[in-house]
Amino acid sequence: MALLEAIGIGKTYPGGVVANDGVNLTIERGEVHAVVGENGAGKSTLMKILFGIEQPNAGRLVLDGKDVRFARPREAIDSGIGMVFQHFSLVPSFSVYENVVMGSEPRSGIRFDRKKAIAEVQALSDKFKLHVDPLPPVGALPVGQQQRVEILKALYRDARILILDEPTAVLAPQEVQELFVAIRSLVAQGHTVIFIAHKLPEVLEISDTITVMRQGRTVGQVRSKDVTEDSLAAMMVGREVVLRVDRKPTDQSQRVAEVRGLRVVNARGTEVVQGIDLTVHAGETVGLVGVEGNGQAETLEAIAGLRAITAGTIALSGEPITGMSVLDRRSRGLASIPEDRIARGLAPGATVAENLVATRLDEPRFVRSGLLDLKAIRLSAEKLIERFSIRVGGPNYEVATLSGGNMQKVVVARELSEQPKLLLVNQPTRGVDLGATQFIWRTITDARDEGAAVLLSSADLHELLALSDRLMVFYHGEIVAAFTNTPDLTPETLGTYMLGLARQTPEDMKGALK
Amino acid sequence: MTELLITIISTGFFATVIRTTTPLLLATLGGLIADLSGALNVALEGMMLIGCLTAVIVSVYAPWYVAVLSGVGAGALLGLLMAFFAYRLKADIILVGFAINILAAGGTVFALALATGGDKGTSINLQSQAIPPVDLTFLSGIPIIGPTLSAMLTGQSVVTWIAAFLVFAIWYFLYRTPWGLWLRGVGEYPAAPEAAGIPVTKVRTWSLVVSGALAGLGGAQLAMFNYVGFTRDMTGGRGFIALGAVLLGARHPVGATIAALLFGAFDAFAIVLPGLYNWMPSELIRMIPFIVTIVALISFSVRAQRALALRGVQ
Repeated sequence: MALLEAIGIGKTYPGGVVANDGVNLTIERGEVHAVVGENGAGKSTLMKILFGIEQPNAGRLVLDGKDVRFARPREAIDSGIGMVFQHFSLVPSFSVYENVVMGSEPRSGIRFDRKKAIAEVQALSDKFKLHVDPLPPVGALPVGQQQRVEILKALYRDARILILDEPTAVLAPQEVQELFVAIRSLVAQGHTVIFIAHKLPEVLEISDTITVMRQGRTVGQVRSKDVTEDSLAAMMVGREVVLRVDRKPTDQSQRVAEVRGLRVVNARGTEVVQGIDLTVHAGETVGLVGVEGNGQAETLEAIAGLRAITAGTIALSGEPITGMSVLDRRSRGLASIPEDRIARGLAPGATVAENLVATRLDEPRFVRSGLLDLKAIRLSAEKLIERFSIRVGGPNYEVATLSGGNMQKVVVARELSEQPKLLLVNQPTRGVDLGATQFIWRTITDARDEGAAVLLSSADLHELLALSDRLMVFYHGEIVAAFTNTPDLTPETLGTYMLGLARQTPEDMKGALK
Repeated sequence: MTELLITIISTGFFATVIRTTTPLLLATLGGLIADLSGALNVALEGMMLIGCLTAVIVSVYAPWYVAVLSGVGAGALLGLLMAFFAYRLKADIILVGFAINILAAGGTVFALALATGGDKGTSINLQSQAIPPVDLTFLSGIPIIGPTLSAMLTGQSVVTWIAAFLVFAIWYFLYRTPWGLWLRGVGEYPAAPEAAGIPVTKVRTWSLVVSGALAGLGGAQLAMFNYVGFTRDMTGGRGFIALGAVLLGARHPVGATIAALLFGAFDAFAIVLPGLYNWMPSELIRMIPFIVTIVALISFSVRAQRALALRGVQ
């Protein structure tokens, strides 16, 4: 008998988005069951239903042979289901043990029994090989350890079934291996793990069974040993896709961006960029590698003029732009695709046309004698929608109604509608489906082929390796390694430097620094 | 100048400080609870003011403790109202807070006029009662410090002693009980307690109710001990000073108490000054607590920034 079954689950959100349509899922006891699918395939919705965050409109859940219905997460927790979200639910200033026991604290009278809590968390972490010190505040821990705290939280509430929502998205390759050790130890002790993912090699490595979802439906359930990465990818998208872009040979003799001795201090007073030197040539993509929070984002923001610097110089085509405003930098040929498209890349409540014209309001063809030329704006937007194949009803639709991939295309269309000299790109395909990813990769590479200098930061090592000519590894605000991209450069090699386990000598780096 | 020093060092002045601090301390504790639960309670002022009037009117007809409790109840109800608008109807909590303040400013005058038969300034023709003082003269039996202690502490309101106990009780609640952990977790990062199955909205609602109740208790003390009777706008910005005291006290009950004492001291200062220097315009003197609030908040902010800069340099 299956441990947990979802039968014919249907979920339509108010507003008419069909997230799940007759979804079936069968989880056996003691297995690692991966649920894969593109973004928007309905994986997260299904998991939210299993965990009681969302209520299905149709279908039923069967746990241990009995029909169950979870009105809220608490009920799922009480039935032995635990979930670790992609965005951690941890209170940063609370200690590890406080976070683990919060909501089910050991008590003596009305007092919170801290000693007992610490001992219990310690015992749990030993039992499942999830090593983490119970005492320090969670906010001070690296992401990999925070994730362990999340898993401990679920286990502390006696979760027999653990749902991990894209757990590897935030981890370096070595941390992924540690997570897999913990997952195997969990399964060996009788727990069941549901693993949501889109990185197929990892899925094949860790899971016993795989359920594939596409457009709100289950496409099929397969044994991991019976499938390959290619056949899984084909099932996910319904057609064969090759995520690969070819870079043209370009003339990379001309220096476009030169950063010297850049230092940046963040709002909390920590120096997050500690003396970075960086050069980007025309027709070249330089990838900034690193676990998130090691200074890559701040470096890009400093170059874009979005963040004050404490020392260093930034030059664009030989001209210093260090003190310049964002507008002046942009007028000199700088374009930027920011990390968070909703908060910084777009005005979600404004229309597609308005978003596309927002950076060109100084051009006489859109603004005449201080008034917007709505017709010109609409025509230009229509052209860009066509050229960047943005799926939208028309230029006057609100950006907020678009899918993640199409929103990102609006940002890309705005930034690349004219060929930039220097293009800054941060996490261009986060939360974007495979089709749009392919398109965005192609567009960025086209800009490079046409002679733009591109600085790319991404949490996805495959993306960096697919697009970059050279790679710089960031660790604690410094460049600790530099590589020229070759086919034999692996994510594991980069991972060693990303985690600070190794660092190149200045001589080693020289070759790739140019 | 020497007269001033003599006045300030006297036991009488300390007794005044304790008296002026009490309503402010209660409002500050109310502000602290709301702040830690993630809500800036800008309505403390209005809650206090309505607490004042409710206590005064009820005291005409009922024993003093019933009057105090009704002041507490009025504040708690306003907290519940605020929670209803902010958390159920999803209104902006700052705007709801100001709505309550405006309601309180106008509503108390209206209610006062109804209760007194037309007087829109004070409740002078109502026979309202006072909170009884606590007699601690037995303390003077203690050798050496006894007489001083007795002079300072005797004659303080029952509510003052309750407030002192509440500082400890709130500290214990926040840092030693599971519910305190919930409240602080809800205030800092609501997604975490939410995922742990803690009823976040309930925690927040209770926090505002308690916050309002404390402000109401402060109001009762103000109108039934510091002054006996109601005067329009008699809270005089104490609810806003309390918000400053929460920040200045580093969002901790003990810190908040020290901050409230500081502001209370300047309040007391403003009371004794006119008797010493009658040439000083009283308006100027009454500005002192507010000027001190602004100066204290600026220096707090500057110091916090400097501390950050120091950490950044290392």
